[in-house]
Order: sequence, then structure tokens, then C-alpha cells
Amino acid sequence: MSELKHGFRINTEMCQGRMHCMRACPTRAIRVKNGKAHLISELCIDCGLCLTVCPTGAIAATTLTFAELDRFKFKVAVASPALFAQFGMSDTPESVGRALLELGFDAVWEYSVDIELIDRAIAACVKKWPGPFPLISNSCPVVVRLVQVAYPSMVEQLIPVDAPREIAARELKRRYSQELGIAAEDIAAIYITPCLAKTISILQPAEEEKSHLDGAVGISQIYNDILYKLRTGLTRENASRKFSFSGEMFHWGAPEGEFPSLSREHYLPLTGLTDIIKVFDDIEKGKLRNIEFLECHACQGGCVGGNLTVENLYVARSKNLRLVANMPRSVSKFEEEVQRRYAIEDFSLRRSLKPRKIEGETGDLRGRVLRRKKAEELLKALPMLNCGLCGAPTCKSHAEDVAASRAEIGDCIFLSPDRIVHLRALYLDHQDTK
Amino acid sequence: MTAMELLRECYEIQGKNFDKAGEVSGEIKVVLRDLGIDAAHLRRLVIVAFEAEMNVVMYAQRGTMTLIVTEEDINLETTDEGPGIPDIELALQEGYSTASDEMREMGFGFGMGLPNMKKNSDEFRIESNVGKGTSVFSKIRLPAHE
Ligand SMILES: Nc1ncnc2c1ncn2[C@@H]1O[C@H](COP(=O)(O)OP(=O)(O)O)[C@@H](O)[C@H]1O
Ligand SMILES: [Mg+2]
Repeated sequence: MSELKHGFRINTEMCQGRMHCMRACPTRAIRVKNGKAHLISELCIDCGLCLTVCPTGAIAATTLTFAELDRFKFKVAVASPALFAQFGMSDTPESVGRALLELGFDAVWEYSVDIELIDRAIAACVKKWPGPFPLISNSCPVVVRLVQVAYPSMVEQLIPVDAPREIAARELKRRYSQELGIAAEDIAAIYITPCLAKTISILQPAEEEKSHLDGAVGISQIYNDILYKLRTGLTRENASRKFSFSGEMFHWGAPEGEFPSLSREHYLPLTGLTDIIKVFDDIEKGKLRNIEFLECHACQGGCVGGNLTVENLYVARSKNLRLVANMPRSVSKFEEEVQRRYAIEDFSLRRSLKPRKIEGETGDLRGRVLRRKKAEELLKALPMLNCGLCGAPTCKSHAEDVAASRAEIGDCIFLSPDRIVHLRALYLDHQDTK
Repeated sequence: MTAMELLRECYEIQGKNFDKAGEVSGEIKVVLRDLGIDAAHLRRLVIVAFEAEMNVVMYAQRGTMTLIVTEEDINLETTDEGPGIPDIELALQEGYSTASDEMREMGFGFGMGLPNMKKNSDEFRIESNVGKGTSVFSKIRLPAHE
């Protein structure tokens, strides 16, 4: 596999080495050396917690900027249902769609059909699946990466059905190139994303195929612009544009789960990485086999609580529930389109997912055992305080880093008390000058 | 001839402590995963470890699980002080269980533990002394040595 990419960047200039990110990282992928945070790329699953907790704003999502979008001839927005939960109760999905056109998109994709298609494809896949159970949803890129990194034995349980955003991008390129007579390469499918993880799933899909999408714009990036358009009114041309967003769409990414049609007994929706990790631990031990499908979203509260959303999670959720209740359902035109496409499209993931190779796995078994023993030996000399001053999140990770020749044991302040002078220079003196 | 032993770790298991049930197999999983054992073998090992641990928790007073890694295979030896198994043949049958209703309510006791452990092992053996305790041995061979 080519070099791993991520959906965010750490700006070393802005980083003050305050270690919030290092302590929050669920896969211990961050180290803070010499007052600057850096990433152990192979361990990072793009959950974005680091970005959320950074006190100095030094970690930023690598979404597309509006200027970058201009290089495409025909730009189509595929908006996550979470977008529509960000605005006031009276701002309809239609008006938000129109505001996107005002911002310069040439079209806004009616995403409900694709979501419904994947809903059906998943239900069909679950029905046919010979085991092992439970199957795990793959629409959240963080969940996929968590399994690839920390639960390699469960990779085959990630459901082999593509994400609706991919299916949408594939279809919109086909449709517009046919209708407008432009080459598919000139059409850009841009996902309006509630989290940074989706940018990485576009840049570097976990199944090592090329994404049908061409980029992502964060909800927080365009929130103000949309709000402004909603409040100042739209041009006549756009104000008359019609969309049919169906109510089914708003189940997608919601904490209550996306599959109201699956049986409650055998279907479990989960949100939040901490809870997901607990449940995955159980599954790995062979528990929960009576569950057929586990729907997991790394962000607490699902995609409406994504790390690039703006509105308070609970307010957004309540708006989302309203949308589910009030939007028209399965108008016959919608149902017709779903049936037409369901009959002719293939929704399977184009390539099977594999565990991610991590550094601990290189070398032979003997070498790896030796390294482990060395780390255990080194750990005995450490204070087990997890103070982080060595630059690793825990004493254990420091010992492992040393065993893997990634750090010096003497970085521990208990072993080298003199290091406090260095740390004072880095942290205190540097604050004086502010 | 036995292969060169690389690693041996022993873990204590407390009988009747359902709160902690699964911790030992969880730890073993992390060790094996960090050693880079491939996904398919890891999956089998975790199932064996978990079921062995659960049987000690459910039926015995206390026990230990020893993980032995050699260059060719991975071994799990679970030994307990407990009631023992009077009829091993019968205990190995799918669906046979003496678990109490209480345990079943907690989601254990479907009588599939020992059969699944056997199915997932390359070598499997039970030794038991009624009134004293039980030992269960499982060997899973690594890819190059299957
Ligand atoms: N360590 C043990 N000590 C005593 N009895 C055991 C032990 N392990 C298994 N057994 C007996 O064998 C039966 C079958 O075990 P198993 O296949 O794991 O199913 P389950 O635990 O679901 O009953 C148990 O119900 C119990 O009677
Ligand atoms: Mg059992």
C-alpha cells in the first residue's frame, strides 16, 4: 500500500505541545517531542478527537477549500443528511439545497435514493450472509480503520456493501454526463461532510480503490455562508428549484440507527468510540453472535454529532427527528427510481478490506517476542504515572517506543531529572514571552 | 520434538467472578495481536481463550491460563481447581450443558464452549479429576507449520 494519508494536518508552528491530543487519542498514535505533536501514521484511524481537543487550533481538517473547487467544470454537492439538521427548525432541506446552489454548486444531488438503495442492499446482504456474525457497518471510515488496526480478526465482518455516498457519486457522474453531454472527468462529486474521516475515505479508501467522490467540504466550513444565504434570500432562479428529499434519508447517520426496517432484536446501533471499542472487545471473544448487524458511528450521537458539525448535538438531533417525522415518505416517483436502480446497479464493495500492516508486525515472530520482553523489562523502571512528560501518552507506550527504537528511555523525567530544565525552557519560558 | 519456546505467560482466573470474566482472554488477545499473529489464527485463539476462561469462571473456584508461544505454534493451557468433569465425552457434545438458569440468563451456557474450542484447535485435550479439577490443552499451529 502507498503511504498512509490522513484527513487532518498538525500545524507545527501553531502547536504548543500541550498534549491534549496525545492524551485523547484512542489508538495512542500521537507523541509530543520537543514541545511539538507528531503522528505515528500507521496507528491513526482518523477519528478526529485530536482536532476536537486541541486548545490552540493547530490541528485542521484537510477538506477542500472553495477556491480549490473552482477547477471543476460541473460541481455537484452530495450533502450528508447531517447538514440539514444544522439549521433552524423552519429552514427546510429544500431551502438549504437552494443555498448550496447559491454558493456555486451546479447541482445538489437528491441523495435519498442512494441511501434507500444501500439500506436495501445491506438488508439483502445480512439475509444471505453465512457468518460470522455480527456484520459491522462500514459507512463510518473511522470504524473501518479501527477494525483494520485494532481488530484484524474481525475485518471479514465489515459488511461488503459500498457506502451510499460512493454509490451517489457514481450515479451522478453517469447521469449528468449523459444528460449534459460532458465528460465524466469534468464532473466533480463533492461530499458535504460532517466529519474529517470522510475526507480520508475519499483521498484513500480503506479498500484501496479509487473513490467516486472528488473531495469533501466540511459542514463547519460552509455553515456561515449557507446561513447567510438562508437569511438574505435567494436569487429568483434558485428560489424556484425543486428537490425531493425523502424522509428516509434522515435515518442515515442518526443515533437511532439507519435501518428502521431491520428487526430490533438482531440489529444494534452504536455510537461513540468508547462504546464501540467495548462492544468490539466482546465480539472478538465470540460474544454477540445473535446480533446480525451492528451499525457503528465513531462520533457520539452519530453523524449529526460529527467533528465538523456546528450545531449542538442535542439540538441537531431534535431537528433530525423532526425531519424524519415531517418529510414526505416514499412518494411513488422515489420508489420507482429506487426499484429501477436496484435492479441494475451493483452495490458491493469493489475490493475486500484487509487488516492494516503495523510496524509491530514486521520482522519474525522471535524478534517481535524479544521486543515485547524488552518493553516489559523497561516498564519496570518507569513510574506508571502516565504523566506524558516523556512525550508518550503512557509509561507503557514509552517502554514500547524505546523497545522499538523510537525513543530514548531517558526521556522519562524520573530517570533524567535534568530534563525538567529542558521542559521549563520549552513550556514556561516560552509562555513568558507571550 | 518440541519447538523452541519463545514466550510463556501465566494469568490467574477467579471462579464465579462474572464481573471480570473475559479479562484474561482480552489480555491474551492484545498480546497476540501485538505480536502480529495473523487475523485468522488470532480469531481462533481468542475463541478458545474466552471459552476456556468462561468455563473456569462458571464451574471452578480458581484457575490459571498459560499462554505458550513457540516458533511453530501457540498453546493455551487452562488448569482449574473445581468439580472436574465426570464424563468428558458427554461434555464435548454440542449443546450439553450443566449451566444454571442464572448463567443462561446472563447469556452463557449454550453447551457450545468445549465443542467450539475443539473445532478451533489443531490439537485439543481435556484431563479431569472429579472433585479436584480440570485441565484443558489447546494447540494452534502457525501458518508456516500447518
Ligand atoms: N472447567 C470445568 N469444570 C467443570 N465442568 C466443566 C468445566 N468446563 C466444562 N464443564 C462441563 O462441561 C459442560 C459443557 O461445557 P461447554 O461446552 O463449555 O458448555 P457450557 O459452558 O455452555 O455449559 C458444562 O456445562 C460443564 O458441565
Ligand atoms: Mg462453557
